[in-house]
Amino acid sequence: MDDVIIAILRSATPLVYVTLAGVIAQRSGIWHLGLEGLMIAGACATILGTVLTGSILSALLIAMVICIVASILFWFVVEKLKANQIIAGLGLTGLGLGGTTLAVESIFGSQAAVTAPTGLPRLGAMFGAYGTLSILVLLMPLFVLAVWVLLCRTRFGLRLSAAGEHPFAARSVGVNPGRMRLIALMIGGVLCALGGAELASGSLQFFSQNMTAGRGFMAFAAVIFGAGHPIGATFAALFFAIVGAIGIRAQLVFGERVPHDLLLALPYLATVFGIWLSARLRGGVKAVTGFGELRDS
Amino acid sequence: MTESIVSVFRALIFIVIALALCGLIFSVAGYSAPDMFRAIIDGAFLRTGALQQALRWGLPLFITAAGVVISFRAGYFNIGAQGQFYIGAICAAFAADWLNGLPAFIVIPACFLAGMTGGALWAMWPGILRLRSGADEVITTLMGNFLAVIVLIYVTSGPLKDPTGSGQQASSRPLDAAYRISTSYGVSPTIIAIAVLVGIFMWLLVNRTAFGVLSGLAGRNATMVTWQGARLWNIGLASFIISGALAGLAGTVELMGPNGRLASGFLPAHGFTAILIALVANLSIVGTAIVALFFGGLASAALYLPVIAGLPSSAIDIINAAIALFITAKSNIVDRFLRNWRKRGWTT
Repeated sequence: MDDVIIAILRSATPLVYVTLAGVIAQRSGIWHLGLEGLMIAGACATILGTVLTGSILSALLIAMVICIVASILFWFVVEKLKANQIIAGLGLTGLGLGGTTLAVESIFGSQAAVTAPTGLPRLGAMFGAYGTLSILVLLMPLFVLAVWVLLCRTRFGLRLSAAGEHPFAARSVGVNPGRMRLIALMIGGVLCALGGAELASGSLQFFSQNMTAGRGFMAFAAVIFGAGHPIGATFAALFFAIVGAIGIRAQLVFGERVPHDLLLALPYLATVFGIWLSARLRGGVKAVTGFGELRDS
Repeated sequence: MTESIVSVFRALIFIVIALALCGLIFSVAGYSAPDMFRAIIDGAFLRTGALQQALRWGLPLFITAAGVVISFRAGYFNIGAQGQFYIGAICAAFAADWLNGLPAFIVIPACFLAGMTGGALWAMWPGILRLRSGADEVITTLMGNFLAVIVLIYVTSGPLKDPTGSGQQASSRPLDAAYRISTSYGVSPTIIAIAVLVGIFMWLLVNRTAFGVLSGLAGRNATMVTWQGARLWNIGLASFIISGALAGLAGTVELMGPNGRLASGFLPAHGFTAILIALVANLSIVGTAIVALFFGGLASAALYLPVIAGLPSSAIDIINAAIALFITAKSNIVDRFLRNWRKRGWTT
């Protein structure tokens, strides 16, 4: 049983961090499809940073700085240039995927996977079987709680929601929606960097191109499935991770009798199911117009 | 007319900004940006046979992009062109496999029918989920892309596996030469004819039919169209099906033309590039045809870069992504600048 829970925690943790970034962006009124790009940038920067500087801490810092800079760029394009969020988000994702491949190629001269000498600090022997998990797994519930407090129990969170839901009202009480979105995206950048770091450096300590494999999009789906609420979205992300872990488990138990590729497809199918279910339960995208356009009044 | 000139200028300005960002990224990564751009322009447009290569890559891209235009005009973000492209190619490959041995004039049309049906069906389920339940089609079509990649891996390493193939990349058995519609160089009268037909049909559909007018209106104001008595369900589903069928058609063309076999993970950037083409062309069919040639050139440069210039081909992905980041921007600053500039142009 322990190894199943470990597997679930391992695949859920990166997803939860990125989902939290998506929740904050969603609250501020931004459909963040660039999560995938930020996540892979964080993963790549963590591994390359560890290889080049030798220290995981400076690697994490580099990853955060890169993700924050990319988030500011995204904010500028969406808020100042009024670009369509969906297309700009996909562009950001493309920049992340292409940029990390280019970075690996320019430093190592090939597209092969890069292995780092050290990873994130582990929990250690006092946690028994769970000692091989990284420290970010333990911090994950704290981050969820912190984001919940920030969004649902502080003045800042209320203003953030106002900036997303009714920018005009926010402006009338002296809140600048654009600046709220900038802050939201920058916090999101930090969380994406942590998610990417956990993905790349939490267990196996390597980076290969396209290693996020759609997790950023799954995180975005978890935001919608969880109705933009930090706790709800976290459980949605956990659900996707559990489905994935069940797939891997089933493969170990049943071996060749279950087609391997069907199990690989399970998380994606679960995501489609989650989106469909949340649309059934809460009503989905109603009007066609306005989707992907920033609300300004 | 002046309105469209302004939009062309706006697109050009943002493409220049995007290229500047690319130059910055190349420099940070340690490459010389001028060298990189020179190599890309060489590979895309200046080397001998560049036009032929631009056509080889541009024509399938145009077919998919025309489909993207249809669904985007109707207001549906069908991001799943890549998946529909794959499923189309897979269905065509199955058709060719089952009918192997029959004369070409039966097999080729059957493959095209299978490919277009496959693509249409792969676009239809997100369409139905969207129209019946309101499930966000951006996510469902994206997931459809990942699922299609898995299906492609399964098919090329399972039912259609080529037992003599190399271990590096799983692929299907090569098609019989009689069933190919072009050589591996990729341009043939058949493919050009298909692309021209698609262009004419889609232009007529968009500009000369009730569906074209209504879907364009639905994209801008769905409520109004409903109140005027049009069936949003029919328009929406039709636009999903048409865009999927065209992506499937492009997959079939790639399979039976230049590729000649299914390989797992072939042309992974096709769908994204097609979406980009449709957006750069501002969702016009004529514009799409022109822009597709440009991006076709870029796509051929992706092969040229590592082999001739020794530069990484991911440079092309970065250029495409940067253009996507900026292409939908409609900044007031730029618009005001363009308007002033135009006024000055008229008075003096």
